[in-house]
Amino acid sequence: MSAATAPRPARRRRDRIRYRSTLTRVVTTVLLILALAWALAPIYWMVATSFKTEFEATQLNPSLWPHHFTLANYGKLVGHSLPFLSFVGNSLLTASATALVTVAFSIFSGYSLSRGAYRLRGVIGYLILIVRMLPLVVLIAPLYLLLLKASLLDSYAGLIIGYTSFALPFGAWMTKNFMDAVPSEIEGAALVDGCSRVQVLMRVVLPLVLPGILTTAAFVFIDSWNNLIYPLTFINTMSRQTLPAGLLLSFTGQFKTDWGGMMAASFVTTIPLMAAFFAVQRSIVSGLTAGALSGE
Amino acid sequence: MIVPTLLGLAIVIGYPVVRTFLLSFVKYNFVSVAGPKPVGAANYAHLLNDPIFWQALQNTAVYTFGSVAIAMAIGAALALLTEDLPDWLRHVRTLLLTPWAVPFIVVAFLFRYMFDQRVGIVNTLLVNLHLVGSQVPWLNSASRAMPTVMAANIWTQTPFFFLIFTSALAAIPTEVLESAQLDRARGWSMIRFIKLPFMRGGALVAGLLMVIANFNDFAKIWAMTQGGPGYATTTLVVYVYRLAFTSYRFGYSAAIGVVWLTLLILFAVLYIRLMQQGGRR
Repeated sequence: MSAATAPRPARRRRDRIRYRSTLTRVVTTVLLILALAWALAPIYWMVATSFKTEFEATQLNPSLWPHHFTLANYGKLVGHSLPFLSFVGNSLLTASATALVTVAFSIFSGYSLSRGAYRLRGVIGYLILIVRMLPLVVLIAPLYLLLLKASLLDSYAGLIIGYTSFALPFGAWMTKNFMDAVPSEIEGAALVDGCSRVQVLMRVVLPLVLPGILTTAAFVFIDSWNNLIYPLTFINTMSRQTLPAGLLLSFTGQFKTDWGGMMAASFVTTIPLMAAFFAVQRSIVSGLTAGALSGE
Repeated sequence: MIVPTLLGLAIVIGYPVVRTFLLSFVKYNFVSVAGPKPVGAANYAHLLNDPIFWQALQNTAVYTFGSVAIAMAIGAALALLTEDLPDWLRHVRTLLLTPWAVPFIVVAFLFRYMFDQRVGIVNTLLVNLHLVGSQVPWLNSASRAMPTVMAANIWTQTPFFFLIFTSALAAIPTEVLESAQLDRARGWSMIRFIKLPFMRGGALVAGLLMVIANFNDFAKIWAMTQGGPGYATTTLVVYVYRLAFTSYRFGYSAAIGVVWLTLLILFAVLYIRLMQQGGRR
């Protein structure tokens, strides 16, 4: 190449940068679309299938959207054979009760772990963290025997106790972390005014950590909603079953290949969880980034 | 104030742990009339010669570490990808988080349907694109069942890593980024030398949490394959569950529980060591 047509070095370099940034932009866009497809396609597929007729859902070449839009799959859920509405009610009841009980205990134990001035505080903190790592299934046989003795098998109370056993360590630890972020000077004034510790906790600390408490409650709710092993083991009356176990038991027997019904049930099961999730999504992020933002 | 919590935990956790330990030394068939019979360490001896136990251990390792490694890599890539999005594209992040809000049972059903041999969309796509000649058995195949279950697991878990890494990236001080830019770091070198080190702490914590979650995962595997075909997807949880509640061998299942508990605690201790070293460096 002759010297006349060769661009000056500085110019060539700027060109290369610009070229790279356009290329980067194209690649980024393509990757972003792929990422969105990866995250959303399965969810779309569930919703689309739930509105298809049974014939359409089981075709060899499935249609991308329902050509014969139908609500029959949802009708089946509230109709006869499946106690689907009981499942929904049971799941809502047990998951909410677990969240309430866990939060009530966590507020006190979290405060104690965060502010207590006793010698075992650190040790107890770590113990609670370790308990959180215990495998559920290892505890399930003894827990089963325990509930059997207390005649709590096949009852909501037994299920709530089971759920709480794994939610409580988590709740206490989360609450402690949220309370650690509250400066203790704030409490000083109230203590001087003659408030008791419990009053300080209720009137001063609690309002400040309320978003954290709600996040904890939502996490506990989500965990309980997802739990399959406890209801499967502790409950044997179908009408007292929760959604995961109830659906699994229903869709393995005679309804095994009722894909439309399965997807409709799945969609209904997803909605409460998504509501809980997006209600606290903002505070999950702010909880995780709190340290970073305060540094700015 | 902590006393009620501790009391509660003692009953619902402390008691079962002790009871598990004691159960592991007896032969106890829950449905037979004979009560628990002490057998010493026989359950543990049996364990060593139980090929299914060893396979379950291996499956657990593959499922746990495979899922975490892949989900973490995808999560990190997504976080880097969406880091500098313009404002009107902010909602992309929320959309990428949605798989997290899908219940496990639904994830299992969804992947069972999508990977169904006959009507599944995955096989339809593969056949129509001529990538495979005929419909592939996924969950019915001993070699493909595990990767399929892992795919479902990775799908639900990636958003968690994505969120952790996104906040780790947001936490990098602006001065650091600016001085790196002055040093002409950009593109890959910026990621490799500036951003990845800042993501390390989040990766360790999130990794530990998800390793524990996968170790204990029951819902997805049970709802997709029940540990089958054969024992191809039987992890320790599934095996313990099967022993305790379909063959009612409480004693033997407790012995496996104790071994497993020990492994998990060992892992956690090693991990905390590693984390502390990383913090010091």
